[in-house]
Amino acid sequence: MEDLATRRAERKVCLLNKYGLHIRPASLFTKVASRYNADVYVEKEGTVVSGKSILALMTLGAACGTELLITAIGEQSIEAIDELSGLVSRKFDIPEEQE
Amino acid sequence: MSEIPQSRATVPVITVKDFMDNAAGRFDLELIAGRAGLGNIVGEPMVHRPGLALSGFYDHFAASRIQVLGMAEYTFLQAMSEEKRCACFETLFACKVPCIVFPGKMEIFHSMLEIAERHHVVVFKARDLSRDFMMSAMILLEELASPRCRIHATMMDISGIGVLIEGKSGVGKSETALGLIKRGHALVADDLTCVRRHGINHLIATATEVERDFMEIRGIGILNVRQIFGVGAVRREKQIDLVITLTQQSEMEHSFDRTGSALLTREFIGVQIPQRIVPVAPGRSLVNLAETAAQDQKLRLSGYVAVEELGKRVVELHSTEENC
Repeated sequence: MEDLATRRAERKVCLLNKYGLHIRPASLFTKVASRYNADVYVEKEGTVVSGKSILALMTLGAACGTELLITAIGEQSIEAIDELSGLVSRKFDIPEEQE
Repeated sequence: MSEIPQSRATVPVITVKDFMDNAAGRFDLELIAGRAGLGNIVGEPMVHRPGLALSGFYDHFAASRIQVLGMAEYTFLQAMSEEKRCACFETLFACKVPCIVFPGKMEIFHSMLEIAERHHVVVFKARDLSRDFMMSAMILLEELASPRCRIHATMMDISGIGVLIEGKSGVGKSETALGLIKRGHALVADDLTCVRRHGINHLIATATEVERDFMEIRGIGILNVRQIFGVGAVRREKQIDLVITLTQQSEMEHSFDRTGSALLTREFIGVQIPQRIVPVAPGRSLVNLAETAAQDQKLRLSGYVAVEELGKRVVELHSTEENC
């Protein structure tokens, strides 16, 4: 039987919103990530930070066009990855950054 | 088995420009010639006196280090004819040395500037004496080139003991840090700590430039610790003496250490640091536990381990009982 606590999912996403991972997208990301029973990690060029920490996400210096690897480990890892990658690809639903 | 992704440890590549830019506040360095060589890589982060090489012996010459002329080299070169000296610099610079430094009162040989420009070797004048310059430069190079990584953890200075608090998101790292700050201890970094190796068995923790002085507390938001609590509540960098790992009690598969006699350690970039695994549960004051663990670590560093003394007392008690 699969151990739910170690269920793992990962996906590569590209930041598309105009100003990259600044405060607003970072806080939206952590808000979604924190809802799931899974540990979330975001990786940029070998640097990994917690996807549930606003400050850590902002220190990645991820600008528009940056490729990120999102990894989730835990019972709801698959659901978390689905929603998080959707959020990133929809440019965090921020109206001013859609173009 | 799911492995937790971790930041890659990196060993920075340093250029002459990095060396020059970071010299500010440590030693005076004036660029005289060879600006084109600022991108030269200092392959070995050390300073080197060319010594024998100037006499033509280039076997085992450490060309990738920063070259510093001492009084011996200087006097040797001064005694040469202009022509011979130029030939000497020509050979030296052809080895692709990253830069050359004239420390103290040594006058720069003007005839060599053109050769330096041609070979893209940066020429510096340093104000300090060669021994002082070499010492400071070595310390700087060590700092710039040491291996480093980023850790998902909060770093505190608790009564002079550097404590790295790690644990999963939401376990209470930042809240513990906030409580410690209120008790007069200082924050180094919240949630993301940059760690670099110092020497062979020490680690120095700092915050990233962006995040410095800030912390995030769930339900309150982003706080500037320096602004709210004052400069005493923050610290720029601190050596890590102890790692406290906060764990949900339910996650503790192994029973944790009850006496503090087991020597747990946590490894980062090849350095082992004493570790305490602290279970988080309602009613356990993490602030108090972290503070006490730090003080206990201070005692241990001075050679006193409580459980050892207790053990000794028990043995003594048994032996006196037998004698009765």
